[in-house]
Order: sequence, then structure tokens, then C-alpha cells
Amino acid sequence: MEATTEFFNELETRGHEPLLENATGTLRFDLANGKRKARWLVTIKKGDVTVSHANRKADCVASVDQALFEQIVTGEENAMAAVLRGEIGIEGKPQLLVFFQRLFPGPKNSMRRS
Amino acid sequence: MNGGLVQILDGNTFVVSDSRGDIEASLTDPTGLFSFDSRFLSTWILTVNGQRLNPLSVDDLQYFESRFFLVPGTGTVYVDSKLSVIRRRAVGDGFHEELTILNHDAKPVDLKVRIDAASDFADLFEVKDALEKKGRYSAQVRNRHLVLGYERGSYMRQTAISASAPAKLDKKGLTFAVHIEPQGSWTTDVDVVTATGPGGTYTRPKYERGERRAQPNMERSLERWLDEAPRLECDWDPLKTTYRRSLVDLAALRFSPPVSGGSSLPAAGLPWFMTMFGRDSIFTSLQALPFTPELAATTLHALGNWQGSRLDDFRDEDPGRILHELRYGEMTAFEERPHSPYYGAADATPLYVVLLDEYERWTGDRRLVRELEREARAALAWIDDYADLMGNGYISYQRRNEDTGLENQCWKDSWDSISYRDGRIPGFPRATCELQGYAYDAKMRGARLAREIWKDTEFAGELERQAADLKRRFNRDFWVEDGEYFALALDSEGGQVDALTSNNGHLLWSGIVDKSKAKKVAEHLMGPRLFSGWGVRTLAEGEGRYNPIGYHVGTVWPFDSSFVAWGLRRYGFKEDAARIAAGILDAAEFFDGRLPEAFGGYERGVTKYPVQYPTACSPQAWSTGAPLLLLRTMLGLEPQGDNLIVDPALAENIGLLALLDIPGRWGRVDAFARGRVDLEPRQLRRQGARASTRSR
Repeated sequence: MEATTEFFNELETRGHEPLLENATGTLRFDLANGKRKARWLVTIKKGDVTVSHANRKADCVASVDQALFEQIVTGEENAMAAVLRGEIGIEGKPQLLVFFQRLFPGPKNSMRRS
Repeated sequence: MNGGLVQILDGNTFVVSDSRGDIEASLTDPTGLFSFDSRFLSTWILTVNGQRLNPLSVDDLQYFESRFFLVPGTGTVYVDSKLSVIRRRAVGDGFHEELTILNHDAKPVDLKVRIDAASDFADLFEVKDALEKKGRYSAQVRNRHLVLGYERGSYMRQTAISASAPAKLDKKGLTFAVHIEPQGSWTTDVDVVTATGPGGTYTRPKYERGERRAQPNMERSLERWLDEAPRLECDWDPLKTTYRRSLVDLAALRFSPPVSGGSSLPAAGLPWFMTMFGRDSIFTSLQALPFTPELAATTLHALGNWQGSRLDDFRDEDPGRILHELRYGEMTAFEERPHSPYYGAADATPLYVVLLDEYERWTGDRRLVRELEREARAALAWIDDYADLMGNGYISYQRRNEDTGLENQCWKDSWDSISYRDGRIPGFPRATCELQGYAYDAKMRGARLAREIWKDTEFAGELERQAADLKRRFNRDFWVEDGEYFALALDSEGGQVDALTSNNGHLLWSGIVDKSKAKKVAEHLMGPRLFSGWGVRTLAEGEGRYNPIGYHVGTVWPFDSSFVAWGLRRYGFKEDAARIAAGILDAAEFFDGRLPEAFGGYERGVTKYPVQYPTACSPQAWSTGAPLLLLRTMLGLEPQGDNLIVDPALAENIGLLALLDIPGRWGRVDAFARGRVDLEPRQLRRQGARASTRSR
């Protein structure tokens, strides 16, 4: 689950994310790995971002298999399609996840034409 | 809708049935209960004693409610039934049906009433393309519900059916043993609700027995919607009908995307396009700005939320790009289609900035312009950083998803819409002309927003320099010297795709046309090759691919003509704009005020009536918006600072026209005009008008 950790660590290090400047709220990812569960709590305040493992209530909770999330943060899977397949459960305000998914990368082999 | 089908809807949930209220779908037959782009019922057949019913009449009470009057028997001419059957159906998070049977006889009757129910859970794309399903079906009776299900991995859709009267449920439907006394009646409520996702919760039907004033899902009722729109008074009755029809249809087309916090934006069309489309939602919001500006605000928010942020070839996504279409069905979920969302439109991104500016000019809502500054800047950056595929300073398009992406990423998106005079079709990339106009307009409007609201004069200056350069190059590179109009596109070699098209009108609208060339362009638009008498043909008569009933190669699109009229006004040809408005509004009269997506390009004098192009969607959002934009162009409504300028030019036959309580940054304003434009071309008379304003 290296990519996931790296993804959140980088986000925490950046501390501010322009793509989230219209977002405010807390977003928790509950990542299931068999019986184990990893939590990532992202607090967003107009683009200022902090990340922790705190087990706190959040405005939006996304429940997803850790392996799938790993593929999402590496661009192998698309988050919205996974939501539509029912592989990401969402409780609370979906708006926050819509903003947040902007941070997920595209497929590695996708390239611009020009 | 076509062929006796009845449709009612609420947001993106809708029911299409035959005139008996029955649903009998096949993979290729578009009836059913649909929600979030999936079919949840494909069979819904009512029988009494094993017999199908005959329709006497259907009342479309509201766009979300209809009532079917039926009698038993099999299609004989003469019906003398002792029984009447009434089905009253309201859609809203599934649907609610009130089934009533009246016994008109002097004797009691015992009846076996049966509803057969089943679902194929087809994706809307499958309904169009007839594809095989990959998942597993189920049907079970539990807790007095018949539950129909479909599963493919964690993708799950369910339909649950229940009734208020005692019923025997089996896996294929519901049976009622009914006894009715002489002159008596029997009734039951039937509820159909839907569920999605694993452990998904069912929707709750919004309508219950006797809830006469039930309202649709939208944040505002139809009554309030109509109340808050400007009031139209006019000597010419058909215009009143068309205006009301447009407002009601626009209300029906409102769609609340799951992330909009309950606000609504215009979906593209009924019933197959009840979803967010970048291009259609933006054009319709522009048309409706003087009437219902809040649609534009939601459109800007929702499209901004989904703005592209990465490169994704499958979705044709780029950073800053505005989406083309968002879908929720099975094929999108399993990436058999790219609509999650799909970004393959080359015009939606510059048009996004155009709408943001136009919205602010009408409403004075600077807060939204500040809120969406990042999105607007990203959209402007997309034009230069991602859309210039040929490196020649023009927007062009070529799909990266070669399999399921769109070939033509402009509004004329059919395969043969972009052609040379001689009918040849160019390769890719293609730089269609209107895209350059939109880019020019986006830069000019972006510059205004940067200077006045974002307080970034340097950026404003840069945008203006770019726009001026684009305009200069465009008027040189796209101008067809021997025809004196603008080419439809540049091909991949930089050569002119030289067919004469209605796109010239969009160029006027954008402002990219040199003043010295505008008169020639207007003459073409109003000339016999493009103007049919009803409106402007998409492709000029005489071009290689011209066909009066070809989708984008000769038909007249009311939406297209409404923007052409706006373009003519922009360059001062207001009598010509009035002629187009008169033609389109005359055509609307033939369709009871509901303009189709397109009608034939036949000369008006030849057919006498507009020949409708057969299409799947009606009403269609931007056709619904066309009369609204034409009212704007006829009245010459133009915001200027905190005032609304009124400078009318309308056809004689309209007589007196008043539009009262036009909302905007000025409060509410009334506009009055008298029809003075002679419809015979180029015999112009002076216009008369007065305007009065009041604030409240």
C-alpha cells in the first residue's frame, strides 16, 4: 500500500491544493484490507489540506477496498467508474469526493496529442 | 415523443409507456421505467380477466403525472363496456400508480386483475444499441414485495413492487381477486421503487394516495417557476402559447445532478438525454438567461465541479476541459463507454467562460465569478495548452479514444457534417470555424472578468492581445475569397474546408468577424442558399452534401438559428434577426409551441409547413430555449452596466409585445415593442420602441 501512503503524505506535505480551493469539509477514506481497516482523514479548508489517521466523523466517508484504492492513486482505475460499479461506498456529501477525485492521476500511458 | 408513447418524468427518472399505460419493452424498444440511465421496468402490463385494455383517452396532467382511461376488450371499433379502468401514474423516485376499476353494471362482478412485471435492467446505451447483458437476474417475493434484481459484481440494481390492496405476488407479477358491487368501484395503490449499489437503500415513492398537490423533485414547483419568469403580453397569440410551452418544457428539463445540492440545470433532452451535457446545458443556459438566470449558475457550478484535471485518453480528458456528457449506467460503470464523465467536446470549454461572463453581465453576481476564477482560468489555459492540436494557433479536435470516443467534437457531431464544397470529408484534426469564434469570445470576456472582478490587469491585457491576434489570423485564414464567407473548418494541412454553413452566424455571435466582412456574411445567412424562410439551413443548398433532411447537412435547427439571430444583432443587422425570429416562431406554431430539434431545409414557399426531422428527443433543451433567445433578440435586450438596454426590431405581424419583470442586476425591468419589420427582405422601415424601467 505504498502508493496510497505516498499519495496522502505528498498531499500533507503540499498543505495547499489549488484544485480544492472551493472545497471545505472533512473527507474520510476507510480502506479495507481483509479485516484490517486503514483510515485517512482529510480536512480541507478552502484548499488548505491536513491529513491524519484520526477516527473521527466526517462530512463524507468513502469506503473502498485498499487494493482498489491503490490502483486509483496510481491511475490504473478511475474513481468515478468505481463509484458507479458500487465498489466505492459513499456516505455523506458526495460533493467533497467530486472535488477530491481531481487529485487522482490519469492512466500512465495517456498523453496529449499536440 | 413519437408514435403514441406517453412519457412522464421527474429529474432523470422517467416512464415511457404506450397509450394504455403498459410497458412492453424489447432491447430495442424504448419503453420502460428509467432512472440514472438504467431501465428498472421493461414489462408492466395490466389485464382484466386475461384481457388487455383499450385506451379511451390519456391526460398528461403534468410532466410528472398522467392518467389513462381504459376499457376492457380487444380493439373493436364499438366499445360498450360495463367496466372502466383508470390508471393514474406519477413519477418521482420510482413511480406511484393508482388503479381504479368502476362497475357500471346493475350486477356485481368478480374480476381477476393482473399486472405482469419484469425488468431487463438495460443501460440506456443498450436500449439504443441492443447489446447482450453480462450479469445475473433474480426475482423474489419477500415481505409483500416483488423484488426484481440484477447483479454484476458489486454493481446492483433492484426494483421493488408492492400494492395496498390484497394481492397474490409471484415472480412475474401481482394478481388481485376483485369483487365490485353494482355501480361500485375498487381501487389499489401500486408502488414501484428502485435501489442501486450493494445494500442500496430503496427510493421512497413521493406520491401517495390523495396527494393531489404532489410536487416534482425540483426545488421549485411548476407554479412558482412560471410565476417568477417574466410575463409576456402580445397581440399575436401563437407567441404566447410558444412562450408558455417553452417555460413549462424548460421546467420539465430541469435536472439536479447529485452534487448540485438540489439546484437544477437544463438537461439536454427528453427522455434519452436527461443528464448533464456541457454544450447543451451551456447553450440552453445562455438562451434562458433573461428569464431564469439561476439555471446558468447551476450549470457553471456543476460543470466547474467536474472540470477535467488530468490526461485520460479513454475519456478524452485534459486539465481544464469542460465535460461533454456524464452517465450513470452499467456500461459507463464497467468502462464499456467512457461517460464517467466523457470530455470529448471542443466547444464546451470556451463556451464555459462565455457563459460565466454573460451570466455576470445579467445578474451582477460577482461572487460566483470570484468563486469560479480558478475554473475559468483553467478553461482559458486549455484553449492554448491542450486544444491547439496542430500547433497553428487554432482549436482543433481529434479523439484519443478511437474506439468509443466522438469523432466530431463540435455541435454538428454526425459523421458527414464537416465537408468541403464538393462533398469530400476532411481527415483529422479538424479546426471548425465556430470553435475559433468561441475561443475569441472567451478570451475577450475572460479579459473583462480579469480586469473588473479578478483585478488582474496584466492577465486581461494578455488575453486581449491574444484575442486580437486570433481575430486577425482568423479573418485571413478562414475567409473564402471567391465565396466571401468563412470556411467551415481548416483541415490538417491548413487548407480550407470550404462549404458554406450556418456556422457563419455563430461567428457573428462571437464577434470574431471583421466589420468589413460582416455585411457579406449576413447576406449569405439571409440569402436563398441558407435561409429557408423558416430559419437558417445548417448547410447551404448547392453544396455537395446538401440534403434538406440530412441531420447536419441541410436541416434547420431552431437552436442554431436563434444564435444566428443573436449574431446578426451583434453586428447591427436587427431586421434580419427579426426575420429569422419570425420564421422560427411561425414554425413553432405548427408544433403547438414545442419546436423540434430540427426540421427539413425545404424552401418555405414550397412546403408551406415545416417538415419535422424524426428524432428521439422532444422536448429538446436548446430547441426549448430558442424562442426565449429570439425574444431577447427581437426586443434587443442587452445589459449595459446596471441598466438593461431595449432596442426592439420585430416583425409586423407580432403587433404589440411586452415582456414584463425581466430579472437582472437592475431589479426588474419591462420591455415594450411594436412590430414594424416588413418580412419582405431588405425593405427596411424605421423601428419604433420605448422602454421603461423600474426597480423593486
